[in-house]
Amino acid sequence: MTRYIIAILILSLSLTSCEDVIDVDVPTAQPRLVIEASLDWEKGTTGNEQTIMLSMSTPYFETDQNTSVTNATVTVTNDDTGDVFSFTNQNDGTYTTTSFMPILNNTYSLEVFHNGETYEATETLMSVSDINDVTQSTEGGFDDELLELNLYFDDPANVENHYLIKYDVEGDMFPYLEARSDEFVDGNEIHDFFEKDDDEDGEETPFEAGDVVNISLYGISEQYYNFMRLLIEQYDSQGDPFSSNAAQVRGNCINPTHPENYAFGYFRVTQVDKQTYTFQ
Amino acid sequence: MKHLFLMLFLLSSIYSQSQEKFTLSGTIKDSTNGETLLGATVYLKDTSIGSITNEYGFFSLTALKGNYTLIISYVGYESYSQELTLNKDQKLNIELKASSTALDEVIITAEESEMVSIRKPQMSVSKLNSKTIKEMPAVLGEVDVVKSIQLLPGVTNNGEGSAGFHVRGGAADQNLVLLDEAIIYNTSHFFGFFSVFNADAIKNIKLYKGDIPAKYGGRVSSVLDVRQKDGNSKQFELNGGIGLISSRLAAESPLFKDKGSFLVAGRASYAHLFMPLIEEVEDDKISFYDLNLKTNYELNKNNRLYLSGYFGRDVFNLSKIIENNYGNATGNLRWNHVFNDKLFSNLSFIYSKYDYQILLDFIELDWTADITNLNLKYDLGYYVNNNLKLDFGISGLTYNVNPGEVKPASESSSINYLKLDEKRAFEGAAYISAEHQITDKLTVNYGLRYSAFSRLGGQSITHYVNNQPVIYNSDLGIYERGEEAGETYYSKSKSIKIFGNFEPRLGLSYQLNELSSVKASYTKSTQYLHLLSNTSSVTPLDVWTPSGEYIKPQISNQFALGYYKTFKDNTYALELETYYKHVDNRIDYIDGSSLIGNNNIETEILNGEARAYGLEVLFRKNKGNFTGWLAYTLSKSEQRALGGNAGGPGINNGDWYNTPYDRTHDISLTGVYKLNDKWRFSSNFVFQTGRPVTYPNGQYTYEGLSVATYSNRNEDRLPAYHRLDISATFIPNKNSDKRWKSEWVFGIYNVYNRKNAASVSFNQNRETGLNEATRISIFGLIPSVTYNFKF
Repeated sequence: MTRYIIAILILSLSLTSCEDVIDVDVPTAQPRLVIEASLDWEKGTTGNEQTIMLSMSTPYFETDQNTSVTNATVTVTNDDTGDVFSFTNQNDGTYTTTSFMPILNNTYSLEVFHNGETYEATETLMSVSDINDVTQSTEGGFDDELLELNLYFDDPANVENHYLIKYDVEGDMFPYLEARSDEFVDGNEIHDFFEKDDDEDGEETPFEAGDVVNISLYGISEQYYNFMRLLIEQYDSQGDPFSSNAAQVRGNCINPTHPENYAFGYFRVTQVDKQTYTFQ
Repeated sequence: MKHLFLMLFLLSSIYSQSQEKFTLSGTIKDSTNGETLLGATVYLKDTSIGSITNEYGFFSLTALKGNYTLIISYVGYESYSQELTLNKDQKLNIELKASSTALDEVIITAEESEMVSIRKPQMSVSKLNSKTIKEMPAVLGEVDVVKSIQLLPGVTNNGEGSAGFHVRGGAADQNLVLLDEAIIYNTSHFFGFFSVFNADAIKNIKLYKGDIPAKYGGRVSSVLDVRQKDGNSKQFELNGGIGLISSRLAAESPLFKDKGSFLVAGRASYAHLFMPLIEEVEDDKISFYDLNLKTNYELNKNNRLYLSGYFGRDVFNLSKIIENNYGNATGNLRWNHVFNDKLFSNLSFIYSKYDYQILLDFIELDWTADITNLNLKYDLGYYVNNNLKLDFGISGLTYNVNPGEVKPASESSSINYLKLDEKRAFEGAAYISAEHQITDKLTVNYGLRYSAFSRLGGQSITHYVNNQPVIYNSDLGIYERGEEAGETYYSKSKSIKIFGNFEPRLGLSYQLNELSSVKASYTKSTQYLHLLSNTSSVTPLDVWTPSGEYIKPQISNQFALGYYKTFKDNTYALELETYYKHVDNRIDYIDGSSLIGNNNIETEILNGEARAYGLEVLFRKNKGNFTGWLAYTLSKSEQRALGGNAGGPGINNGDWYNTPYDRTHDISLTGVYKLNDKWRFSSNFVFQTGRPVTYPNGQYTYEGLSVATYSNRNEDRLPAYHRLDISATFIPNKNSDKRWKSEWVFGIYNVYNRKNAASVSFNQNRETGLNEATRISIFGLIPSVTYNFKF
């Protein structure tokens, strides 16, 4: 809902406003460990192979992104079964395992040891509905002349569900992310659409026949939903006059001995349904 | 103790009334159109006996038996004098002649003419009449009340294209905005580009920044009291204007053989008529309109009825995807009754409503929300003697807030019906205040207001474990929703929570000499209604919420001190004021709060406080071909919210941080130069320190995206805001005897085309992958032309 309201306000503003890119001096914080631990169990697979990435944060306008952390140890424990999964350091910032055992609704703990500090996080593996259908249309969406992709899936009734939807368009540098909850639509078939704008500065081009989109539908925890909702909102619209005030979005990776030295990023454990769609 | 002093004051002044005295009372009006003049000075020459006309033009003064010269003065009008023998109680209704024709007058005044302004204890008040407002250069030629007051010291906006205004570091929802006594909840059209007040229908406006009279209550920052014209009671009159954005037409006329008069004024934008011609916006529709109505009828010499109304609406329809409309509607029926030459009364029955609707076509969602209130109030003015005037009254106000109703827009919609709890409340108040001249040099205003607020039932209240709607997650260092522990239903006849507050008001004026004075004031006020907004700008879609189980009323204490001096026969005037204001129970929003569609707002907020202090300088030139003013404000506005019941350090680690309306420096320079009878030029220059914002302090890569990191709230600032506007007015037939009078107004807004940042957003460019800062600036150089006429 919020994003639609922001969209209205921004659209109305854009009728008179002008935009330009300027140089701004921004403050610089100390670098901090970033944990991107996304254990995603794709439906129809064993989910044994998993990768965790570690890096350091950088100044906002820094363009050198080679900040891989190669001197850490990473383990994940299933708190319900006691199974421990050690991740192997690949010396490029990634840590991998081939023996992970995903079990729905089990709780997992992450432990990262780096530079004498320990970072911890826990998360529960959430299930997800199957994707019912993926279609294309023009008359829906924001613009009645542009192609959009429609995604349909069933929301289980009488239980709060949260979703992360990722649209990865082949050839694009970045994926499009959306966090959804079943507020307003509990128990219904949920329809999500994805339409690319005819952006005047060329950052985006509309879909055409032949475009390939990889769609991922994740079942996520409420806490991760809140994290992603804010992260996406700030990524899309931070600083817009009608966006909520910017604030650090805190993930679930804590440092128990030095709480202020927490890590950025998130430890998520999800079930995911994927489909690939090619525009006709 | 306070009450005892009050009693003593009253007794001493009544007691001193022993010699034979008589009372002179009456009404002061404009001779051309019969409009009552409020704030006109009425005094007896060579005495200190005087009075100021009230909102209905009424005055009363009492003097010893004898011969006097009565003088009436009002800036912009010729002074009136009359020899008078006071040997019985008398009534006098006097009409003043405007000092030149109406379309052409520049009037900039403080409270009233110099004689009493130096003496009267009222401070921290700014007054503009509609003529002054019409003189100022305006964006797109749209004359704007709210933008005009922002040129006064202590008043700022929150960037172009943002609704509302900020007084002495206060939030937009802390201003009580009254149009003919009815509360206006949203003061803007086009999401803040224009204000809802049609200058053709407005008689004058008064802004109280502090030292708020006891008759006003309910907001902690300021009172903007806007009065509509009564309508010409002498002859039919037509006023109008054709501008780039909107056109206006106002008709006024006497009614019932001069027993009454009416005013009907309309204003409507017409840009939407041309939008279909432009391909890019052919499916869009953006428009607004205003309709102002006022009529009055004199039942007899001592009784007069007034009926006024306002209806305004904005409509947005963007490519048939999003439809949005919102607006205010108000009505007020008043009965003026003069009991005798010393006791004046007014009974008002007031309705006001603000509502909005959003239709999101693509997800088939229909959203409505509204706030309605009814107000019955009775105000009396008692002119005890020349040294003492009493104002007292009572008021009862009901609120009905519908924070949101969601409906599926069609049968195929996947949206479920949802209605957030309706909230009901009653606010009652009683007040008494006295303006008391203690010695020739010392005048005191002292008053007391008692307000009571009852949040009424008809809804359920959620309970939380340990009574904590918000809890601190010490592991993650964030605030989260508390755990629900059942709920209690309150029937409509029950109160959920009751609050009561005494609000003392005190103003002192000490006259140093005929030309200068010092004043001091103290105001305590309470605000029971809060606007929920966690964005940097207030939007028309924000929802009001009354105090209750979890939200306490805001309470402010303000102290102000001022020095006033006039020079060269009132050609120049200097006003200096300093203030300190503290607001308790200002709600603050936890990081990542979600307010839209939320039935349990208490899970998103902490109870905070705010403080503001500053120095204001106003230097005016009141007379001559060149008039204008320089306003400078040096100020600070901060807020904080400690963890309290929720635990933890609080928002922003519990540290004080800049409010979004903190402006260190604020300078406005406004000037009007009358070249000759045909040409007049005006200009204003504005400079403001940039708005506090939070810039990123780092980035990291997550899901392939560059994610920004942030430190503390509002530690950075947008670039400074400044701009110069000019306008020229041409009056073609100034001296002709034709009834048709007209003028052309040519204007340029933002002459040097500064790209003032309304905001700076930080984004990753999807094409290059690099982070960049994007400035949004709203108004560049904008030329305009407006044609105004009067018949």
